[in-house]
Amino acid sequence: MIDFTLSKSQGAARDYAHQVAMEEMRPISLECDRTEKIPDSFFWNMQRRFWAGAAGQARMQAQEEEEKQDNVLSILSQEEMAWGDAALSTAIPGPGLAAPPILSQGTPEQQMKFLGPYMDGQLHWGALALTEPGIGSDVAGMSTTAVLEGDEWVLNGHKHYITNGARADLVVTFATIDKNLGREGIRPFVVPQGTPGFVVGRIEEKMGLRASQTAELIFENCRIPKDHLLSGRESSKKAGFKAAMGTLDATRPMVGALAVGIARAAYETTCQWVQQELPKGFPSHKRREIEQELEETRQELEMARLLVWRAAWMADRRIPNSKEASICKAYAGGLVMKVTAAGVRITAPGENSESRQLLQKWFRDAKVFDIFEGTAQIQRLVIARRLFPEVDIP
Amino acid sequence: MLNFAPTEEQEEIRQLAQSVAIEQLRLQGRSAEKRGDISPELMKTLTQTGLTTPFPEEYGGSGALEALTYTLIAEELGFGDGAQAMNIIGSLMGPLTVLLAGDTNQQHHYIAPFCDAQQGHLQRGSLAFAERTGGYSVGEISATIRSQDGDYILNGRKRDVLHGERSSPRVVLVRIEGTSGTEGLCALMVPLDGAGVRINHDEGKLGLIAAPSASFAFENATVSATCVLGKPGNSGVIRSATLYNILRAGVACGMARAALEYAKDYAKGRIAFGRPIVSYQGIAFMIAEMAMKLDAARLLTWSAATSWERGFDNTALVQEAEAAQFQSVKIAKSATIDAVQILGGAGFIQDHPVEMWMRNAAVME
Ligand SMILES: Cc1cc2nc3c(=O)[nH]c(=O)nc-3n(C[C@H](O)[C@H](O)[C@H](O)COP(=O)(O)OP(=O)(O)OC[C@H]3O[C@@H](n4cnc5c(N)ncnc54)[C@H](O)[C@@H]3O)c2cc1C
Repeated sequence: MIDFTLSKSQGAARDYAHQVAMEEMRPISLECDRTEKIPDSFFWNMQRRFWAGAAGQARMQAQEEEEKQDNVLSILSQEEMAWGDAALSTAIPGPGLAAPPILSQGTPEQQMKFLGPYMDGQLHWGALALTEPGIGSDVAGMSTTAVLEGDEWVLNGHKHYITNGARADLVVTFATIDKNLGREGIRPFVVPQGTPGFVVGRIEEKMGLRASQTAELIFENCRIPKDHLLSGRESSKKAGFKAAMGTLDATRPMVGALAVGIARAAYETTCQWVQQELPKGFPSHKRREIEQELEETRQELEMARLLVWRAAWMADRRIPNSKEASICKAYAGGLVMKVTAAGVRITAPGENSESRQLLQKWFRDAKVFDIFEGTAQIQRLVIARRLFPEVDIP
Repeated sequence: MLNFAPTEEQEEIRQLAQSVAIEQLRLQGRSAEKRGDISPELMKTLTQTGLTTPFPEEYGGSGALEALTYTLIAEELGFGDGAQAMNIIGSLMGPLTVLLAGDTNQQHHYIAPFCDAQQGHLQRGSLAFAERTGGYSVGEISATIRSQDGDYILNGRKRDVLHGERSSPRVVLVRIEGTSGTEGLCALMVPLDGAGVRINHDEGKLGLIAAPSASFAFENATVSATCVLGKPGNSGVIRSATLYNILRAGVACGMARAALEYAKDYAKGRIAFGRPIVSYQGIAFMIAEMAMKLDAARLLTWSAATSWERGFDNTALVQEAEAAQFQSVKIAKSATIDAVQILGGAGFIQDHPVEMWMRNAAVME
């Protein structure tokens, strides 16, 4: 039966995350953005508050519990976290983006080996490295290579724009074992921090998500044990590339949820500004125009959220959701830019208050949601190709 | 007679402005943002070229301003770097308003320093226009003056006044109490301090960081009658306000063009899936859209500039100038956001200027 109400546990997950966002994130949001630094106390607080959750989630995945709702639970809390601060959300200790490929492509032993250490109560991070200077959208065109020499894989190549790349304990790095195989030759490898030949390059300075670490990673004859290849539970040849693309169906709704969270924060703050900070003498017809625009925004936010919920719900049910994942990510990614830009425009006449500073920050954060995890254009291609499977859409 | 071609002389000046824009403004975009101001050396160069002294020769300027020519210059400067362009234009609007609305004494006193060969490039003017309750539209000006014992009492608030802190002349657009629309507008000069005058430097700006600005608040501030430019309510005030609209439109067109050209070059060179990304309609159409809307906005701006030059119907001029500004700022905003999109991840990184341009355009409102 169609039902848009959250269950008790779902509602609780959301409320908890909101609490955390309000107490741990908002208070330090502007400062972390300005300094591009996150205090250790934040990491420890998040570790304390979420360790049980993250560990529980991984265990749940590993044991294939019957009632799967981890995607829905995750997007519910992602929206709240991004409402708090999207950059800080990306820095919460845990395996992060390294988890999905390990969970979907690792053997039970590999999962234990690589994810186990994340549950020791210390601070750990993970990262996922696909993008290279030469390729982003065209993942299959990557040029980082992996060659088997004896019982070691030797990695050579250059990755950039890797979130948490410099602090990750493990970087799931994609490389090709044979360029002639194209996408079929791409495999995920687990590279631990400190492996000789694995060097962290520059940390990028960005327009937004400034507190989020975006690193360049260089692999120069980087040797890792043979069993650091995530070869898939069934040893199908397509496993590597499919693994990369398959995890997107789960991670795109999460990025969509982050976008909804920022958009909601911007919407709420703009509404508050109109109610509390609208300068004296502001023409009433203009105020009405703004209120109409905000009402439209509220409707779009609602739609974006439902799209995200649907995609995550499908993922939990293992219903193929590539199209729906792309739809929610593309819709939310466009919306967050629009809402934050409107916030900046509407509040332009105001005094330099905290709400204006936050709106300007969110405006700077917003654009990337149309760029990472598949750009706006790539999402539309995915959607169109799913709509017309019989047509070759270039 | 209908003609879309600039004169030979205008074209020469445009090219001069373009070369300064490309060789200096563009290259100094980031350093100017870091410094929070344009470099004095660059201002010196600009003063030497005459580009920043469009004043009558009797005051030492390079010749009286011709609106279309200066619109072309504004676009080139904006093409180089929007923030430094606004820095330059914002300063110019001070003495230009004195020229348009002031009497000969005021003109002599305030304009000549800008043309000084040694010190002119250090001079800054300002024009306070937008308020807490509106934008760059004369109808939305609600700061007022009323006369009292031969002086004027000033009330109101102004925002985003470029060079507002250190300027001379510090010109403020206000209206005579009780007037509305395009009637009763006045330009007057205010001191930095004085009873009822509060001037605060703007901090933590999103964009146009290389153009320092300030906020003004006037509460029953007394301004002497000699500080009013020309006669209260004279039409030069509207000519100044509309000129600002038109030049802001010119800068905005330049910002959009910079984004367009940068994105074009990138899209030609960047390969994805074995082909330049511009060969995909998702990218090509976005660029085509930018080019189309930019051309449209530029023509509207040129049209407003020619109306300004003809200068008979002030009411129509206000509408045209504000339309040009509205449309140009709109395309500047969308083109800069789209340019970031076309660069993909690189657009979000500060190695490329497009993210700065996106922030600059966002605060033109
Ligand atoms: C803050 C941040 C964090 C990131 N974190 C990570 C991370 O943790 N791990 C990781 O691997 N990567 C990460 N990335 C990289 C990100 O995933 C890529 O930037 C993204 O995939 C786009 O790739 P690109 O930048 O190379 O752009 P390109 O692929 O070069 O795209 C440039 C433009 O061309 C368009 N385009 C490309 N192909 C087509 C087509 N066929 N049709 C139409 N248009 C097309 C794109 O939409 C875009 O507008 C991050 C990026 C940023 C900015």
